[in-house]
Amino acid sequence: MILAAFVLVAAAALAAIALGRTHRQMNSACIAEAAIFLVLSVWLILSSQIPMTSLAIGNEFFFIDHLGLYEVLIATVIFLLAAVYARGYVENLIEARELSRGSLKLFYGAWAFLLLVIVLAFFSDNLALFWIFTELTTVISAMLVAILYARDNIDAAIKYIFIASVSMLFSFVGLIFLFEISRSVVGTGTLNWTVLMQQAGSFPPGMVIAAFALIFIGFAAKSGIFPFHTWLPEAHVRAPSAVSAILSGVLLNVGIYGIIRVFAIVHRTTAVSTVSLLLLVFGLLTVFIAALSMLPQKKLKKLIAFSSVENMGILLIGLAVATPLALFWVLFHVMAHAFTKAGLFFSAGILHRQYHSTLSPDAVDDMRDVFTLQPVAAWGIVLGGLAITGMPLFPIFLSKFFLLVQLAGFSPVALVILLVLLFIAAGAFGYFVIRTFTQVSGSGAHAEIVRYQTPAGMNLPVIVLLVLTLILGTVITSGEVAFLNQIVAELMF
Amino acid sequence: MIDPALVQSVIRILFAVVIVTAAYIISTRNLISLVSVYALQSLTLVLMALALWSLEGATVLLAIAAVTFVSKVLIIPYFIASIQERIRIRRDIEFHFLSPTTSLLLSMALILFIYIALANILEGTPARESLFFFGAVIGLSLMLMGMMVTFSRKRAITKVLGYLSMENGVLLFGMFVTELPFIIEFLIIIDLVILVMLTTILTVGLDSTLEEYHQRLHRFHLVGDTEDGP
Repeated sequence: MILAAFVLVAAAALAAIALGRTHRQMNSACIAEAAIFLVLSVWLILSSQIPMTSLAIGNEFFFIDHLGLYEVLIATVIFLLAAVYARGYVENLIEARELSRGSLKLFYGAWAFLLLVIVLAFFSDNLALFWIFTELTTVISAMLVAILYARDNIDAAIKYIFIASVSMLFSFVGLIFLFEISRSVVGTGTLNWTVLMQQAGSFPPGMVIAAFALIFIGFAAKSGIFPFHTWLPEAHVRAPSAVSAILSGVLLNVGIYGIIRVFAIVHRTTAVSTVSLLLLVFGLLTVFIAALSMLPQKKLKKLIAFSSVENMGILLIGLAVATPLALFWVLFHVMAHAFTKAGLFFSAGILHRQYHSTLSPDAVDDMRDVFTLQPVAAWGIVLGGLAITGMPLFPIFLSKFFLLVQLAGFSPVALVILLVLLFIAAGAFGYFVIRTFTQVSGSGAHAEIVRYQTPAGMNLPVIVLLVLTLILGTVITSGEVAFLNQIVAELMF
Repeated sequence: MIDPALVQSVIRILFAVVIVTAAYIISTRNLISLVSVYALQSLTLVLMALALWSLEGATVLLAIAAVTFVSKVLIIPYFIASIQERIRIRRDIEFHFLSPTTSLLLSMALILFIYIALANILEGTPARESLFFFGAVIGLSLMLMGMMVTFSRKRAITKVLGYLSMENGVLLFGMFVTELPFIIEFLIIIDLVILVMLTTILTVGLDSTLEEYHQRLHRFHLVGDTEDGP
């Protein structure tokens, strides 16, 4: 029933966009959609009937549990803020002739539809259904990347589609494996996650490892894990910043969410030690590549994009540890990273609006007088940078710290390597910010830079996210802990 | 009822046809025939599904055959062919890393590798019967051969065909290894159609200047006519 409400709201939003005449109307439809989705998911939490199994929704394909709801909550918050942000941002894109007014319908239509598909993906009980929705998120978000008036965007979008979709086909073969495993064990094949979890104890480990490895390929590509991360920096950099925030804060989570779900099944079999090792190795490699790529970066958005790759690697490592506490902090890190990263991309977008006229897309970011011209965005980058590198008072500090503590018990060598890599990544971020933001032009040159009048709607999401991360990092409520513990319990760790 | 032995040998012949079409897709430079070969490959899958249906009698296979025929033999090839006409590329002679000969040799090695790997993994499961086992091997090989096309060609439209050929491989694999619920097969096809449409339209963008691209988008009625400019 509740799913029907989500679908109806999205359909109404799509209809409003189709009928809408002005940019404001279409944008308002997207804001309203995300806001109603947020209200619906908060209501779902408060109504406390979770996990909802097949009965409440009416068929075996969907279900709602704490993990799905948690991800939906994160996604809707980011979509809401991104839609508020897009109002001013997209208007400026049109003025700068980077986006044609005619493409607006396509842009907002894809936007509204993407949110629905993501919500449905998180509420899918059937893994094949989840696979299909994940595939659809690739296609639709690629459309959002390609919407800008530039050949590079199309290139980035095509690269994104092909890397993600080709890898996702491997996942599908993995799912066929999983289906066949359950068929040979129980008699009737199923891909329903809840049923698989119950049966997992008797799955043969060899087949499970093969299935997981194949499924991992696809979801790793979706979440930008090495060696499938190559699409990520390009797509994130080329996309309009409002879309980059969604790509990084929500879509990467879809991939990680898939890995968590399948890993929970593996965790119940004897194959878990092999698979943990696989996750650890790929996690470390991902952080390694990301940290080294961040070091020479001269473009702000690319730096932030590689930082996303780094954080996905951290999530994999945390998952590899596979203790309940590690899973708890992995989940916390998912949220912390999503909010922090969205804030960073929003700030980067404002800076790009400020300095775009003097920049070709491939030029080095040459930002001057940031603090006088764009104080909110500048502080957004500085504080967001502190947050993403894991400074105290911010939530990533907590999750990184406790994940590292957990890792120490799992593999001290990995801990040392990871610490060094995290230090490099943090150094790269700090170096960039200090070098770029201290550039002050002489008094004579000051006049040539025209100040971009940032609409309040663009500054607001940055401030909201900063406040939100500060609260998350300093206050941990018992409700939050209970909620996350509930997820850990449902994943049977 | 048809003699099962006959059906089995028909399926074996169809396996050979699939491999030949895959090899053709890997090595050809002619874009027009690429699409027809893809349609032929899909048609082979349809026939295989029908043959399997006559062996097993599962109605799912019949439904798969019907959906595959409509989408992959008719709609998608027609769509790609019409796009190709618009962008007027006839030949794709740019290869990224692999020349056609190397790719062919590589794919032979791949088939052998998959045969050995699958024989190990599926040891002791009911899927380890000769015909079904072969189906799985051919399916996975087709998939990897398609992947080689996707990554070794430069033109996006050829990449799309590589991806489609991969998807055919997955379908083949799924058909022989296990019985997936029909609804899932159906949704995958929908996903495929959307993906093909989007990528081919983007391809139009890559192969033309931006102004032309925009005009073309108008022609496809993808963009509304409300453009009034600032």
